[in-house]
Amino acid sequence: MSAVPALGAERRLVEAASRLALPVALVAVFLLFSALAPGFLAAANLQSVLVNNFTLLSIVAVAMTFAVSAGGIDLSVGTAVDFASFAFVSLVLAGQPVPLALAAGLGGGAVVGLFNAVLIAGIGISPFLATLGTLFIGRSVQQLLTNGGNPVYLPPAGVPESFHLLGRGSLAGLPVPLLIAALVIALAAVILARSRFGRVVTAVGIEAEVVRYSGLPLKAHLAATYVLVALIAAVAGLVLTSTVTVYIPNSGNAFLLNAIGAAFIGTTLHRHGRPNIAGTVLGVLLLSLVANGLLMSGLNFYWQQVGTGLLIFTVLALSFASRKV
Amino acid sequence: MIQQSTQPIIHFQGIEKSFGGAKALSDVSLTVHRGTVHGLVGQNGAGKSTLIKLLAGLHRPDAGQVEIDGEAYDHLTPHLVESLGIHFIHQDRLLVPSFTVGEALFLGREPRIPGTPFLDRRQMQRRAQEVLQRYFGLSLPNSALISQLSTAEKQIVQITRALLDRPKILVFDEPTAALVKREADLLFTLIRRLRDEGITILYISHYLQEIEALCDVVTVLRNGRHVATKPIAETSAAEIAGLMVNRDIGDLFPIREKSPGAALLTVEGLSATGRYRNVGFTLYRGEVLGLTGLLGSGAKDVLRTLFGLETAEEGTVTVAEQAPWRASPVQAARRKLALVPEDRRRHGVALDLSVSENTTLASLPRFTRLGLVDRASEAAEADRLITRLQIKTAGREALLRTLSGGNQQKVAIAKWLSRHSDIYLLDEPTVGVDIAAKVEIYALIAELAEKGAGIIVLSSDLPELIGLTDRILIFFRGEIAREVVSDTITEDALLAEVTGSSEATRYVG
Amino acid sequence: MLVDTALLVPASARADTPSPQKTTVSQGLAGIALRGGALAVFVTVFVLFAFASPIFLTPFNLGNILAQSAISGVLAIGLTVVIIAGGGNVVSGGIDLSLAANMGLSAAVYAALSQAGQVDGVAVLAALGTGLAIGAVNALAVTWARIVPLLATLAVMNVVGGLELVLTQNTVIPAITPLLESLSGSGPFGIPALAYVLLGFALITAVVVQATPLGLRLYAVGEFPEAARASGLALKRFIAGSFLFSGLSGGIAGILSAAYLSGSTTGAGELLLPVVVTALLGQVFSRRLVPTITGTLLSALFVGVLINGFQLLNLSSTLVSGIQGLLILLVVSATTLLRPKEG
Repeated sequence: MSAVPALGAERRLVEAASRLALPVALVAVFLLFSALAPGFLAAANLQSVLVNNFTLLSIVAVAMTFAVSAGGIDLSVGTAVDFASFAFVSLVLAGQPVPLALAAGLGGGAVVGLFNAVLIAGIGISPFLATLGTLFIGRSVQQLLTNGGNPVYLPPAGVPESFHLLGRGSLAGLPVPLLIAALVIALAAVILARSRFGRVVTAVGIEAEVVRYSGLPLKAHLAATYVLVALIAAVAGLVLTSTVTVYIPNSGNAFLLNAIGAAFIGTTLHRHGRPNIAGTVLGVLLLSLVANGLLMSGLNFYWQQVGTGLLIFTVLALSFASRKV
Repeated sequence: MIQQSTQPIIHFQGIEKSFGGAKALSDVSLTVHRGTVHGLVGQNGAGKSTLIKLLAGLHRPDAGQVEIDGEAYDHLTPHLVESLGIHFIHQDRLLVPSFTVGEALFLGREPRIPGTPFLDRRQMQRRAQEVLQRYFGLSLPNSALISQLSTAEKQIVQITRALLDRPKILVFDEPTAALVKREADLLFTLIRRLRDEGITILYISHYLQEIEALCDVVTVLRNGRHVATKPIAETSAAEIAGLMVNRDIGDLFPIREKSPGAALLTVEGLSATGRYRNVGFTLYRGEVLGLTGLLGSGAKDVLRTLFGLETAEEGTVTVAEQAPWRASPVQAARRKLALVPEDRRRHGVALDLSVSENTTLASLPRFTRLGLVDRASEAAEADRLITRLQIKTAGREALLRTLSGGNQQKVAIAKWLSRHSDIYLLDEPTVGVDIAAKVEIYALIAELAEKGAGIIVLSSDLPELIGLTDRILIFFRGEIAREVVSDTITEDALLAEVTGSSEATRYVG
Repeated sequence: MLVDTALLVPASARADTPSPQKTTVSQGLAGIALRGGALAVFVTVFVLFAFASPIFLTPFNLGNILAQSAISGVLAIGLTVVIIAGGGNVVSGGIDLSLAANMGLSAAVYAALSQAGQVDGVAVLAALGTGLAIGAVNALAVTWARIVPLLATLAVMNVVGGLELVLTQNTVIPAITPLLESLSGSGPFGIPALAYVLLGFALITAVVVQATPLGLRLYAVGEFPEAARASGLALKRFIAGSFLFSGLSGGIAGILSAAYLSGSTTGAGELLLPVVVTALLGQVFSRRLVPTITGTLLSALFVGVLINGFQLLNLSSTLVSGIQGLLILLVVSATTLLRPKEG
């Protein structure tokens, strides 16, 4: 309450330092690999970091950020990725036009989101358990749809050219997947930080009861959040499918843990420790750079995961330890 | 000073304590004698709970010292307090819900099967049965879980837990607030027996009849000062009430033109089983209407029902001339109702949102263009309300957490001013609010009423009710027992109505 | 049955209480129904399989189910202890996401040392030490650095999973040692040795958790920290201890998996979410609907029976995860809907 001024200043300094953990780590990693790994700095390599490592994870992590903002988590983001991919591939395979198939893909993701919305907003199950259940049910559903988990390949000949646009196209010299990621990030940043919806979602995450006591529809916001999360994740599914021209059942789960990690690392960037899109994106960038840098520096391929894990751990430890009261 | 045959066991000497400039205790000196039941009474904010928290080692006095058993301490710590044999029976019962009674009683000092590291469940059960039977004549099934017990039974388990430690001093903080009469009587019998066994009891209560019936000595606190300590034989409930009542608070309340206008809110035949029955009243424009009653009297449930947080089984609520409606908080806010809830920190404001974000939370549509929050107009609104309500903050971007309780409360009200609400439901609006902010909040309420809003104040702070409101509805056993005009009732009389002592009965629940 | 409302005073004198009794009674009944329902489902499934497949009820097959459940069972029991001490809120309370990766690394350490010619004793100690060390890192991260368990163990999971890849180069390291041979062989009555390990581990843990003061205190720490603190318990020690124990479980599971698969293999992380679900599902098999060791064991066996039965009937075992998911949602919905509304 009545802290000595010097102490207050010190405290502010510590707080500022904890916010800097992520940007400093990013710069340090960048400099380190520039020195250690020949070829890391090459434009071609950096572009490959963005296209191969960054794009899909950033979209999924942005989706996750909305769930975390609302005070929850979504373990079934990968399921939304998969369902979108399955719907997209199935319709293309059935000879439907690509735009319709894309819409169906978004619809596939939305199904997962609606299911979560019913569980979380309707019944009141905690998001962790609800989305864990969705994840498990989603697994079986996918395996049933694919005769026990067989990939659905698209015949190279029969696929319309427009199918590849999302994953492999380029516009004005820039790869389309990257443009899509940029668009998703920009829209998400505006929605979360500037829109009325984003404001209420943030308030829900901080103190859900205050939202209800303020005469705002709490359940509607919770439901909309989880549908939005699934829709954004579905975009990642569409880009992924367009790149690899195959639907592999239960492959979306690969993004889950890194997306959670990035969203939480990102909170260290915010003045009040709130989930935020910029932080999430920097978190994804950090993870992508480390993965690529370790690869380029000729270190054993498998050290990547150790490095990533240690880095997440350090950033979290620094930021949590400095928040001690 | 009262002479007592026994020696002192607790002695507070010149205790001072302030919170952020507001004095909670000033120069309190007080002696509790061994083997007595010592009552501690005072209105909300009189300093009772601060004094108890000092004794529990949860607060540190700014000045003065505490002597326990002849040993003087500048301040106490929870650990020290426990080693001195002082135990607290709190209102919130610290018992693990999924435990059996035996497990809850013996947690932390579990009996083991001799010669093994294993829990002796049989002994736990037997001893639990034994002590509960001995102290309370209470028999609980061995398999009963804490979560299945009634409030009274939980209370008893907690007292029994404290007794197992062979305490020297037991502090009861409003122990009967959730008990029915028979249960309370059992508790009193027990307390007397404990006293006869040499245990000193410090007993805090709102119910003067209890104090009169149970205590040997009573101490009255008022506005953080020690007003009197008297043997119960030399005083009466009426005299104690007189001592509790604050005579010099009158000028806190603004003088207001009391001229109610058209009907704003009409409640008819509102009933909900076990909570309230056949409640009906009308709130007029420009009126400040008081509600009061003991815990469980139904007043709070009615207020929550108006805002749609609870549902009534029968009856109608009509706002202005619109059709009767079934409320939800969303609907209530749309009909220009505003609730400032009692639990400010969980329901009223979000401590980790900024002043600005809290202020506009209920009125965001006004600051939204094409779905986006217009930050400039939002900031202007926040600044306007900060100035208007004299909210003391480092700025509109400061987190609510950094504000004092009184200023947090102003933000909780500002939220609804921003929504241009018409009907304000204020639930204990000045609990935990320092005196300066209190005066400002009272002035604001008066101003709102003069501008034509209707205001309902639910409060257990009786001077506040009398000074602030036009009429008071007194709830008793779920019904409106009486309606009084605020100007015509004294605090003593109101206290008697609220506690039901005018009917010579006691109801709590 | 459990609740006698007329405990303290005659019912007539209570007439004026706004009674919370009704809800607790119906809750208690619902709890019993839920638990009974879970057991009934288990028994029904068991009986159905017994009728559908002649092999199902043979001692050999039942032993197989136990052996197949051993690894996930040990892990789920370790996780259960963390959940007991950390409380039921999965995000802020007890969770250990590093368990499956821990098992993978411990198995790899064991296999690598055996292959390098170390004797069983050294390899076993190293594997258990690996598990304990991982547990210690989690414990420090949660109690000292105050990182929420979900994130702390997530980061540790990444590191541990990576270390396993570094050690194994993402290949299978075969290991055949006397210990592994006896573990993968049969014990008394022709029942697999792994089955005995699972039952033994469950029994010891159950005794400690369910029958000692330590266990009782773990529950208090997890369910109501303020009450535990008021009883003079040092919360952090219990929480740290629970992570050490789950780390050790990971080490033990590592040795078991090396025995079951004759070496270390990749993909241990796949086991994580099934283990989490098994531990959470275990709560339905307990009287008070809290996590218990016996409940988790039953839940692990239930999953084992499902997988085994589907295999015997030539049905796709892919349904198992869906059934687990549905069950967990049903259980949690039921408990959520039965919980009295916050007032």
